[in-house]
Formats: sequence, C-alpha cells, structure tokens
Amino acid sequence: MKPYLKGIIPWCASLGLAAAADPVAAHHSTTMFDHARSVKIAGVVKEVHWTNPHVAIFVLGTVKDGDEPTMWLMEMTSPGNLVRAGGWSRTAVKPGDKVTVDFSPLRDGKKGGALKKITLVATGQFYTADIRAQERANLE
Amino acid sequence: MRHRLRAMLLASLALAALVRAAEPAKEKPVINPPPAAKDWADLARLPDWSGVWNPKITDQDAQAKTNMPPWTPKAAALVAHQLAEEKAGRPPPLFVNCLPEAMPGWMLVTHNAMEILFTPGRVTLLGESDGNRLRRIYTDGRPHPDDPDPTFHGHSIGHWEGDTLVVDTVGIRPQAFIAISEAAGVPNNGDMRVIERMHLAGKDILHVDLEVIAPKVLTQPWKTTRIFFRQRARKFDIVEGVCLEGYHVEKTDKDGNEIFVYTPHNVGGNRIAPE
Repeated sequence: MKPYLKGIIPWCASLGLAAAADPVAAHHSTTMFDHARSVKIAGVVKEVHWTNPHVAIFVLGTVKDGDEPTMWLMEMTSPGNLVRAGGWSRTAVKPGDKVTVDFSPLRDGKKGGALKKITLVATGQFYTADIRAQERANLE
Repeated sequence: MRHRLRAMLLASLALAALVRAAEPAKEKPVINPPPAAKDWADLARLPDWSGVWNPKITDQDAQAKTNMPPWTPKAAALVAHQLAEEKAGRPPPLFVNCLPEAMPGWMLVTHNAMEILFTPGRVTLLGESDGNRLRRIYTDGRPHPDDPDPTFHGHSIGHWEGDTLVVDTVGIRPQAFIAISEAAGVPNNGDMRVIERMHLAGKDILHVDLEVIAPKVLTQPWKTTRIFFRQRARKFDIVEGVCLEGYHVEKTDKDGNEIFVYTPHNVGGNRIAPE
C-alpha cells in the first residue's frame, strides 16, 4: 500500500458514518477556516476533484522540511468561479505536481484549509482562489 | 318538521345551482400559444441582457451589515444567534443537501453566475449551480394560478415597463430562506410575495430591486437592490453546475465502468479533512 493511503483509509472509514447523519451544505459561509491565519505546506498533489459545488485538492505535504508527509485537504469555490476569478482550468494542477500551498487552516485542527494560493514548483506558475477577485475592473 | 327541513334544503340547493349557472363560465386562459413571427421579432426591442452575470459579492457582504430586514423579534433573535455562531467559526449551514438557494435567496446571496434568456412570452434565468437552478418568468400576460403548488422558485409573472422587467412571484415554499448571507437567514414560513424590478444600471451592470413581503417573519416589506455584473469580452461561458457531483468521487468498477461513489462530507458541506 502506498504510504499516503494508510492515512486516507482510516479517516474515510471512521468519519463516513458520522458524516452520513449530518446535513451537507453546498453554499456556505467559510468561517470554519481561520482567515486571520495563513499556513504554507510543500508537497505533491495526490488528487484533484474538479467538481461542483466545490473543487478540492489533496496534497501529501509537510509544513516543515524533514516532517513526515501527511495528507492535506484544500477546499475551493466552484469550477466556474475558479476559471473566472483565478484563471484555473481542469488541468491547471494535476496529480503528481510538486507544489507549495498557502491556505487558511481549519479551526478544528484537522489537516485542511481554504486554499489561497497554489504554486507549481517546476514553473513558478501559481493560481489563487478568491471568489471576490471576479469583481476586479477590466478582468476581461 | 322533517319535511319542512327537507323542502328548505332542496330550495337552497336549487338557488345555489341558479347562482352558479348565472356566473360566466370561468375559462382557463390559454397558455403557451405557438409564437408568431412577430413575437420573435418583438424580442429584438428588448434590452441586451446576454452574457454571463456574476453577483457582486462584496456588496452582498456590505448589505449583510447595513441593510438588515425588518425582522419580527423571533426572527431577529435567530439571525443574531446565526451571526454569533458564524463569527465564532461555526457557520450555520442554511442551504443543505444541495437544495436550491430558492427565492429570494438566490437573488440575495448567491456566489454563482447566471444567464438570462428571452423567448416569446417568457424570461428564463439559469443559474450556474444546483443542477436545477432556474426561474421561469411568464411575460405573456397570464395571471398567477389560484392556488399554485409551492415551489422553491415560486410562480413568477412579469411585464416590461420600458427597459425594466417587473416580476411578481408568489407560491414560494415556506421553507425558502430570506437570507442575508450564506450563514444567516430565516425561512419565510409562508404567504411570501417578492416583487422585483430588473434593469440595466450601466453598460454591464444589472440591478435587481427587490421588495420582499413576508408577513410571517418581517414586520414590514423589505427592500434591497442586488447587483450583477458581466465581463463583456465573453471569455467566460456559464458552465454546468451539478451540486451533488462534488459529493461523489470518480471510480472505475470491477467491470471497467466509470462510476460515481459517494464520498463523506462534514456539516459544512466540505470533504472531510484528514486528522
């Protein structure tokens, strides 16, 4: 088994039942993320979920060099909004890409956050995910 | 005595029948007649609302603080609680399980784009989310049904006053939120009416002036203007937005078929983050 899967399977299994009983929201506030803080990780993209209502990226990464890599979940807005606000595409970031990610961390201490900026190490190309950036003048 | 009662009953029934016969037969109006060439040509006189319209979210943010609906005390208490929870990092989910933001929530707090289509006798709003986020606004002169089935977007009839589309909407589900943000809002609880005036306020700015009349939760009608803008160079098309898609992951099954498998989510609607 790949090392990162050891991490994924237990939390999927343990949380699956609990989550099934909860209502899920498609259009929600984001204050579960601490927008006053910013965390940076470096790692490798494992999965890209280019889906409505929210795009998500799983990154196997570390906060500090030398740490044991762990899986992090990055949440974003919808594909349509990412295209308009951040110049994304379905293939902008792909599994296997080495990246750094700046994000607002979850307040509950779990390994996840609201992505602010993801940078491809190979090229320096980066993408942001600020939904309000669509209001910039002369975006077209 | 019994005979007299029966005679009176028969007489009153006969009278009722006579009254009914005297009423003009109430005919159901013809709806969706086949459009004539003139109906298509008339569309050319309408203002240009084509393109992809995005909500001005920063104005939604501002109005959540500056333009509070005139809530009843009970509704105000709920909103105060929701705002406190959101501030504490526990945002209450309003729009759960991919149910639509509905009316007037869609117009008030959406973060997603929409497009507007004109066809004879009708204006159609299509939203880039929920898979079935659409409003049909009938402009063919029909009235509301007497007793419409309650729906998420209600029954809308509209007419043009110059370049302004005036829309009247009733028959909205009582569960539909009057929302001031994605975390704060109150179900309208029934008998709501929404009146909108949609018009261009600039070359690429659309204003939706709303009046929300909801006697169960508002002490008086509430007015607000919501702003939508378009990027006219049209580098961006509206895209499909099936809400439930993200609650699944793509897998290939043992027979080689590409399938969706449910993936767990937390109460906030996000995928579950690793511990």
